Amino acid sequence: MVPVVFEALAKIVFMFLVIMSFVPLLIWAERKGSAFIQDRTGPNRAAILGLRLAGLVHPIADVLKLVFKEDVVPAQRHRVLYAFAPWLVMTVAMSTYAVIPFGDHLRLGGREYQLVVADLEVGLLYVLAVSSLATYGVALGGWASNSKYTFLGALRSAASMISYEITMGLALMGLFLVFGTFRLTELVHQQGDLIWGWLPRWGIVVQPVGFLLFIAAVYAETNRTPFDMTERDSEIVAGYHTEYSSLKFALFFMAEYAHMVIGAALIAALYFGGYQIPWLRRELIEDQAGLLLTGLLAAGALLHGWLASLYFRRARREKGWYRDAREREPGVLGAVALVIGLALLGSLLLRPWSLGAAGASVLATLLQTGFFIAKIACFAWLFIWVRWTVPSFRYDQVMRLGWQILLPVGLVNLVVTALWLAAAHRP
Amino acid sequence: MEGFLFYLGGAMMLLGGVAMVASRSAVSAACWLVLSFLGSAALFAALQAPFLAVLQILVYAGAIMVLFLFVIMMLEGPVMPAEAGRPKFWIPAGALVPAAIILVATARWVPGAGLPGFPGDLPPGFGQPVRVAQLLLGEYLLAFELISIVLVVAIIGALALGSNERTLPWK
Repeated sequence: MVPVVFEALAKIVFMFLVIMSFVPLLIWAERKGSAFIQDRTGPNRAAILGLRLAGLVHPIADVLKLVFKEDVVPAQRHRVLYAFAPWLVMTVAMSTYAVIPFGDHLRLGGREYQLVVADLEVGLLYVLAVSSLATYGVALGGWASNSKYTFLGALRSAASMISYEITMGLALMGLFLVFGTFRLTELVHQQGDLIWGWLPRWGIVVQPVGFLLFIAAVYAETNRTPFDMTERDSEIVAGYHTEYSSLKFALFFMAEYAHMVIGAALIAALYFGGYQIPWLRRELIEDQAGLLLTGLLAAGALLHGWLASLYFRRARREKGWYRDAREREPGVLGAVALVIGLALLGSLLLRPWSLGAAGASVLATLLQTGFFIAKIACFAWLFIWVRWTVPSFRYDQVMRLGWQILLPVGLVNLVVTALWLAAAHRP
Repeated sequence: MEGFLFYLGGAMMLLGGVAMVASRSAVSAACWLVLSFLGSAALFAALQAPFLAVLQILVYAGAIMVLFLFVIMMLEGPVMPAEAGRPKFWIPAGALVPAAIILVATARWVPGAGLPGFPGDLPPGFGQPVRVAQLLLGEYLLAFELISIVLVVAIIGALALGSNERTLPWK
């Protein structure tokens, strides 16, 4: 009993840490990425001892600001629901991760660990159910603030979330028909197969239309541009969280980015093979673990050496530019890269090519989890990229797209998938 | 474990139901009803029917009550002055919590009401989506389809009653 509890706790803490480190990184990526897209410099002022890390210090400053700010609340609010709404949004955002697998089985000391917090029979439906609860936080928060702007934002968000949930469900049903299971671990596992021996059997390959529907629905559910009617600055100030400040606002803000991470993780897990590395099955990784580890360490050492040389060259070039602590930055970063590179080079002396079975299992898990996190990062960046590139829809356009275009397309996709499967499996 | 979940879900349903009737504002009543739905989902989970539990949340809490809330908010508008003050329904709701706890704590001494559990093994596939689908689309297909026809008629009727004569699609 006790080891089971510890195992579950370890997995929950791991997922929590992954999400919670994604949130500030995404906020940084949003600010720096938007600056890059709009040809600006972006945040670069906050510094610790002259280290600016390309604006990465700003999230720390943001957090400190939000924690110490005065909590201004509207006098005529609904007291309970006003305080309850941000908490609900954040809880709902965090609980979807319970069913997303972040790795295959890990074999250690004769025991097998499944790398998912809760391997539910009905995982796919759980995702839909939990994401449908997210509407409450936004709608209640907007209503309880008792302001016309927040109220309009809440109504808009409820309308768009209801509309696009159906599209999302239809897209997921297509996926369910193809893979024949609601269980997410099984679904990701099946995506490791190859069609005709070379094409990965990813969700996007077997359900391309479903993928487009799903990604549109995810963007609408997370209330991101082009579906950002809930918080449109020029129309309704900041939408449902206009009247929130300090940590309550921070919860809404963090939940938005946590939802983005969920969206990206779902897209990666359902349509892009999750933790599966294409053409590199787990058995192959475990067979060739020693060789792979040696190669990775050598490549890492080379990469860090190259980085160090880049930083040192920059340090020499920028000498005398600022005449203050900022000049130290490239040199310090170069030294850090050099130390890491030397450490990786030194680890080659530990004979990584003679790796045991347990080590091979750990390496395979690390590689797969790392690949999954990299996929999440890619799709999270896609969210940001779309936001700063595409103009947003008008409210009636969002409704028309949802009900008159995406819904029929989803139904047709479902019927076509069913017919195709029936034809393929005819005895 | 099933017993614990049963009493937890039952307490949530009771609390939600009573507080829903007792609360003055329609929006908080809707919220209490959602709590009650979550309680019934917990009951389904305790009865080894995860599919029904998730559907309970997905359909009732996630779709129907969101629509209700949407309509209530549209009709009622922002928070009424009477609702903005300190909440008043805490007194009945607060009294219910200890009552529910006492119920849970003393249930095992009430004759014939021991903590419910399952005496034997469940039949294979019990409560799984496949089994539910076989029942709905096999054994009870006729009833299932008839109910869906009733629902379609109801939707068309609501459309006909609710909308302006000239904007109906068939006019």
